[in-house]
Amino acid sequence: MLSSYLQGNTTFLERVSSWEESIQAAAQPLLEKGFITAQYIEEMIQNVNTNGPYIVIAPGIAMPHARNEGGVIKTGISFLKLQHPVVYPDHKEVNILFVLAAVDSSEHLELISDLSSLLIDEEIMDKLHHALQEQELIQLIQQVEE
Amino acid sequence: MANVTNVAHAKSPSTRARIQAFGGFLTNMVLPNIGAFIAWGILTALFIPTGWIPNENLAKIVSPAITYLLPLLLAITGGRMVAGQRGAVMGAIGAIGLIVGSEIPMFLGAMIIGPLGGWVIKKFDKMLENKVPAGFEMIVNNFSIGILGFFLMVFSFYFIGPVIESANNFVTSAIRALVDTGFLPLLSLINEPAKVLFLNNVIDQGIYYPLGMQETLNAGKSIYFMVASNPGPGLGLLLAYTLFGNKIARRTAPGAIIIHFFGGIHELYFPYVLMKPVTILAMIAGGMSGITIFRLFDVGLVAGPSPGSIFAYLALTPKGNFIGIILGVAVATAVSFIVTSIILKLSKQPDNEEEFTASVEKAQTMKAEGKQVMQASIHPLHSDKLAKVSFACDAGAGSSALGATTFRKRLQKKAIEGIEVKHFRIEDVPKDTDVIVVHKDLSDRARLAHPDKRVITIENYLDDPNLAQLLNEIEKR
Repeated sequence: MLSSYLQGNTTFLERVSSWEESIQAAAQPLLEKGFITAQYIEEMIQNVNTNGPYIVIAPGIAMPHARNEGGVIKTGISFLKLQHPVVYPDHKEVNILFVLAAVDSSEHLELISDLSSLLIDEEIMDKLHHALQEQELIQLIQQVEE
Repeated sequence: MANVTNVAHAKSPSTRARIQAFGGFLTNMVLPNIGAFIAWGILTALFIPTGWIPNENLAKIVSPAITYLLPLLLAITGGRMVAGQRGAVMGAIGAIGLIVGSEIPMFLGAMIIGPLGGWVIKKFDKMLENKVPAGFEMIVNNFSIGILGFFLMVFSFYFIGPVIESANNFVTSAIRALVDTGFLPLLSLINEPAKVLFLNNVIDQGIYYPLGMQETLNAGKSIYFMVASNPGPGLGLLLAYTLFGNKIARRTAPGAIIIHFFGGIHELYFPYVLMKPVTILAMIAGGMSGITIFRLFDVGLVAGPSPGSIFAYLALTPKGNFIGIILGVAVATAVSFIVTSIILKLSKQPDNEEEFTASVEKAQTMKAEGKQVMQASIHPLHSDKLAKVSFACDAGAGSSALGATTFRKRLQKKAIEGIEVKHFRIEDVPKDTDVIVVHKDLSDRARLAHPDKRVITIENYLDDPNLAQLLNEIEKR
């Protein structure tokens, strides 16, 4: 499920200048496809400003998201990989981002489940760090999907 | 035969667990609101016309606070425990119907309608899940509560009137019948439950005080003034909670004692009975023994003690009756204290510290594992139960869901079953959760929202040393 949701939603960049920009860049595909509004991107950034960088869920990996206050139109997920990490508050370096847009707190759980399988598989994650384009990423994810 | 015993064996723990869970539910509904009871109690003891410093103006708060504020708080807490903030709103809407529909403070009713309201909206939300077109969630959410709440409000309004009336009629006729038997201690069978259900004014001012005044005209004193107003049983119950109750009850009961026993505001002990309904037996036993002593010494009061404090009692005691009166109060206190203590001891919840210590001690006798147990007792936990683990975050959708999913997978890998791992918005974590897992950036908020819970903080949702330790702990049991 995760792999099909990510189709066409991935971005690979050399670097970005700020963590705010990393969220904007990562969320861009969802915005273009009309899954989210620009407001939601603002809310994700605001979420870090208010609650701290807890969206950095593991070293190097961030999962920007926010409460749906109307900014999420359709449940979706997008991906950004940075060649050079960007620094989040509290000096946390991040180079992989999964932007999560969830309509409510249950619809996207299958997505989350696949994402979790992916993130805890060290071997696959190792390869993911070296992936350079969407097709490689999708194939890796397909290996862990149920 | 063997089969039958097996089945019975397998069934009994789960039934017990369910009863315990229910008891815990009542406790959790009442305890967070004890402070409001105490505030009301202080206000009442001070300012009512028979209070310490009567103040007509401030006394205006007394009635609305006990009629509206306290039942609404209970209903809100009950609703929230079932279905989060939406449940709380439904609970309050349902309760206002009850409150206005009845003429007495609707505590028990609020404790039923609150969770019921929460349950209704939870079921409804479940039914609509994933069926609401995008963009309409807000409208559907608000109108579902609005419309269902409207019906619940009207239903509880019309439902409660007849219920209260028949309860009043039943209590009144039952008391008359018992008075006719001449064996007064039996009256406690009706008095104590009726008091806790807030029919205390009905029975005292409606039945006993008129009887008492009649008797006083002939004999100069009457026992009827004391059959339902003895502050002893309530004092005994609160003392038992002070010594043997769970942590929070233990801390609040002493304050309640002062307001109840010296201020004469009996309502203060009611929530403690509602928390563990079986303690009504202690109240009945205490009331009965008090009446028996009063009878034995043939004592009475010269007027109705209102409020029923120890001072009002002593002030209204005629000459020569002091020993009997004091003894009656003291014995009632002792009896209800002993019975409540036994009940509290027997029904100790497994999530209690004492139980934890006891189980540690028990385990210590098993020498083989002695070492581990010692270690466990060095680091006592808030709770030794680990059946429900809740991951929480700001939205209750993203990182908490990822954390919960990952943790479930780890449990699965170790073939550990029977642990419920879910994700929530911090404020919506249900009250029966054993452990809350939250990111360190959000831990202050989690502790503020759930001061009595064990909170584990993590920095890594996938692989954190604190999560590994929790997994270890779960695995060991």
